[in-house]
Amino acid sequence: MNSTFGIRHIVQFILFVALQILLLDNLVLFSTGFCFIYIAFLLFLPIHINKVLLLFLGFLAGFTVDVFYDTMGIHAAASVLLAFLRPHILNLLTPRDGYDTNDSANLHVMGWRWFLAYASILIAVHHAAVFSLEIISFDWFTLIKVLFSTLFTGVVVVILQLLFFSVKRAKR
Amino acid sequence: MRNLFAFIYRFRAFLVFVLLEALCIYLIVQYNTYQGAAFFNSANRYVGRVLEFQSGVTDYFNLATVNSTLAQENALLREEVLKYRQANLTDSISQMDTTLLVATDSATVHPFSLHAGRVINNSVRRNNNYLTLSIGTEDGVEPGMGVIAPNGVVGRVKTVSAKYSTVTSLLHSQMLISAKIKKNNTMGTIKWLGGDYRTAILDYIPLHVQMSKGDTVVTSGYNTVFPEGIVVGTISSIVREADKSFYTVKVKLAVDFAQLTYVYVVENKQKAERDSLELNAGILPNE
Repeated sequence: MNSTFGIRHIVQFILFVALQILLLDNLVLFSTGFCFIYIAFLLFLPIHINKVLLLFLGFLAGFTVDVFYDTMGIHAAASVLLAFLRPHILNLLTPRDGYDTNDSANLHVMGWRWFLAYASILIAVHHAAVFSLEIISFDWFTLIKVLFSTLFTGVVVVILQLLFFSVKRAKR
Repeated sequence: MRNLFAFIYRFRAFLVFVLLEALCIYLIVQYNTYQGAAFFNSANRYVGRVLEFQSGVTDYFNLATVNSTLAQENALLREEVLKYRQANLTDSISQMDTTLLVATDSATVHPFSLHAGRVINNSVRRNNNYLTLSIGTEDGVEPGMGVIAPNGVVGRVKTVSAKYSTVTSLLHSQMLISAKIKKNNTMGTIKWLGGDYRTAILDYIPLHVQMSKGDTVVTSGYNTVFPEGIVVGTISSIVREADKSFYTVKVKLAVDFAQLTYVYVVENKQKAERDSLELNAGILPNE
């Protein structure tokens, strides 16, 4: 845990989880579109973060939401899965000349195409895990819920990037 | 040995991943099966405090609805009190010599008492919904008690802490409530299949039973959780399916779960006695 994991990420964790619990709990579009914004914390972590640390952070974030949602273990399981897959997806999406040392999972640094591919794959996996663990069996409504919620969360993540991760700060 | 450690070190991320997932699965299974075992849930003291703060802000927006519900309930209670008072005036039995009267039997002594609680967390759109109330063991709430709102059945207490309690809502995939059709006392089971939070299913109604849309469904009183005759809802559709020996009855729930603000936890003073009697007789308590 060196300078790559600073106070900024702790603030982001508290902010996103609080947003999730206090506000987005009540915001469900057409009873199919759920927004699990707390995973933005995991998405925005530095690219070269320790894999094991990332897994524990995933568990922590999911577990915190679980405690408030009374869905013991479901969000934790999905977030750990996301944390496990993240390094692999990052590998898959490596730019031709590799990641720079000061690259971060940021829309302005990595560009639209990279960021959308990265975010949408991970969000879709996470949401699919959440909804299928919740219902155990499978039906078509779950699939619609996954697609719609992925879209919803994805849009919110992009909005967050555009609003709070300015071009200027990314360059620094 | 060194090779083993090297192997473990190489696959440490995967091993940690498997361990954490196993822990999560264990938590899911444990939380869903064993009632009242969970410590980490919204009845936790610190979690409850955050949720209370949140509802402290949002409750102001429903004040009008809360007021009108309370006023309606007050009117209903007042009407009932008047009825009793009227009956009392015309009834001269209390002026009779007490030696002539036998003391009332235990069935007429009301065994239920209600604890009012504020709903500080609520969900209706998930597959398994829970509520959190701002009353706990200090106010006499215990796991397994029934929860009702002024206009109908809400659910059942799952876990309790000193100041907060978590309630399994009727809108939960594994919640079953023993109910009957008020008109002809046919018993069935209320369950929720997910989706729309205003409708549930009344199951196990045999095909010979006569009923019609709009009939009231109430709790049966066959278990110790709910008193008899608490409204669950009204029948909204009756379908007879060719391959089933029971009707598929849809019930429009009386309680609007999205609008819950105050509920009552039902304490049955004779629960222990009745449960132990039924258990001794070899009857398993139905949930």
